[in-house]
Amino acid sequence: MVKEGLISFRGIKEGIYIHVRDGDFGRIKIELIEKLKKSIDFFRGANILGIRGGNLSTDQKQELFQIIEEEYELSVSRQGLPSYSQSGKYNGEPTRNMTKFIHNTIRSGQVIEHNGSIVIIGDVNPGALIRAMGNIVILGSLKGVAHAGIGGNEKAIIAAHDLQPTQLRIGNIIGRRPDGEIITSKLPEVAKVDNGEVLIEPYIQKNNR
Amino acid sequence: MGIAIVVTSGKGGVGKTTTAANIGTGLAILGNRVVVVDTDIGLRNLDVVMGLENRIVYDIVDIVEGACRLRQGLIRDKRYEGLFLLPAAQTKDKTALNPEQMFKLINQLKEEFDYVVVDSPAGIEQGFQNSIAGADEAYIVTTPEISAVRDADRVIGLLESKGLDNPKLIVNRIRQDMVERGDMMNVDDIVDILAVDLIGVIPDDEAVVISTNKGEPVITEEEPLSAKAFKNICNRIVGEDVELLDLQYDEGKFSKLIKLLFSR
Repeated sequence: MVKEGLISFRGIKEGIYIHVRDGDFGRIKIELIEKLKKSIDFFRGANILGIRGGNLSTDQKQELFQIIEEEYELSVSRQGLPSYSQSGKYNGEPTRNMTKFIHNTIRSGQVIEHNGSIVIIGDVNPGALIRAMGNIVILGSLKGVAHAGIGGNEKAIIAAHDLQPTQLRIGNIIGRRPDGEIITSKLPEVAKVDNGEVLIEPYIQKNNR
Repeated sequence: MGIAIVVTSGKGGVGKTTTAANIGTGLAILGNRVVVVDTDIGLRNLDVVMGLENRIVYDIVDIVEGACRLRQGLIRDKRYEGLFLLPAAQTKDKTALNPEQMFKLINQLKEEFDYVVVDSPAGIEQGFQNSIAGADEAYIVTTPEISAVRDADRVIGLLESKGLDNPKLIVNRIRQDMVERGDMMNVDDIVDILAVDLIGVIPDDEAVVISTNKGEPVITEEEPLSAKAFKNICNRIVGEDVELLDLQYDEGKFSKLIKLLFSR
């Protein structure tokens, strides 16, 4: 695994904020000091909005603010980070508009999770798991397990070029592959919930092409 | 209170999963309540061999972590009543469980089932340690190859150090024609080296590959010699005295020809 720093400075429209990853507070402090030392000139005059992430307590945040303000003489505005829910861009809740694109074969044991929709450009092999709060679209064959609409959204859909899943889950409904031989339509298909059951149908009508 | 049997080998690819699936199914056919437990976390196969992969919602890690109840994690077999599968997790690794948790789980299962058949992963690391926790008996699977026998010997030693004395031996994939030509170790050689009780000999049989690919343990069939061998093992487990199969029973035309030539 690539080792990343615990601290990063991130710029948004309103100014700069400090993003902290989960980790040991001592190390967070050391990294913050190192970063500030290195690029103090860059930060001078910037509007530092606050700290986000890292599961820090108020006291710990206070300690970090103190370092920034007293040792490096930067000003922290303390008005806090703007809450995006007002701007309507994000609202903390997952948005179905956000889609994760993956260009790869998803193999057994791999899990792709996202709080929006997922598009896989490639195959999903048996034993792989795709979990999305929104829809799942697979531009390849789906032979593993796909769970769309996590959290109970039964309007979510799962579509694939070649839909032969081990199991499909939409919202809280589970459909499984029938035992024995199955007839495939050889057409791209879409799975949705209909009357409390997972229904699979082609999404391109043969004669419409 | 049931009996927990762990099927293990040390070496990979000798037929642990096939053996666990067949013994589990065979014991259920004999009218027992059986659960087969897959402890090969990250490389689960038992569900595929038993044709139950499409029914998995929860797995052994979910149960141990309390994400679901024991009942929810058990998958009822599609053919035999009284047969259940507890699948391994595929998206985690061996460290997701520890032997203490397994010990507790196996004992819980023993209260509900006559037999708890545990399929062990290859290797002797944590996955193996997990699989033998709570086991009352151990069945060692080996093939007539020097490497498999060496690993079986190592595993027997480890089991004895954990207090699992008198493991039973299953010799898998014997080819009688090769044994007779002197090209393959025979069962007696293997038993001599390992010095444990033999509970069964399974012939090398195409039917096993075919049935495995179909997701149906070979023991569900009547004809194959391997099915008979597995049935015999199950009968011995429940305490019957069954003689070892005569493996020459089903020999091919070729070996018959050879024999004819030699007998002259």
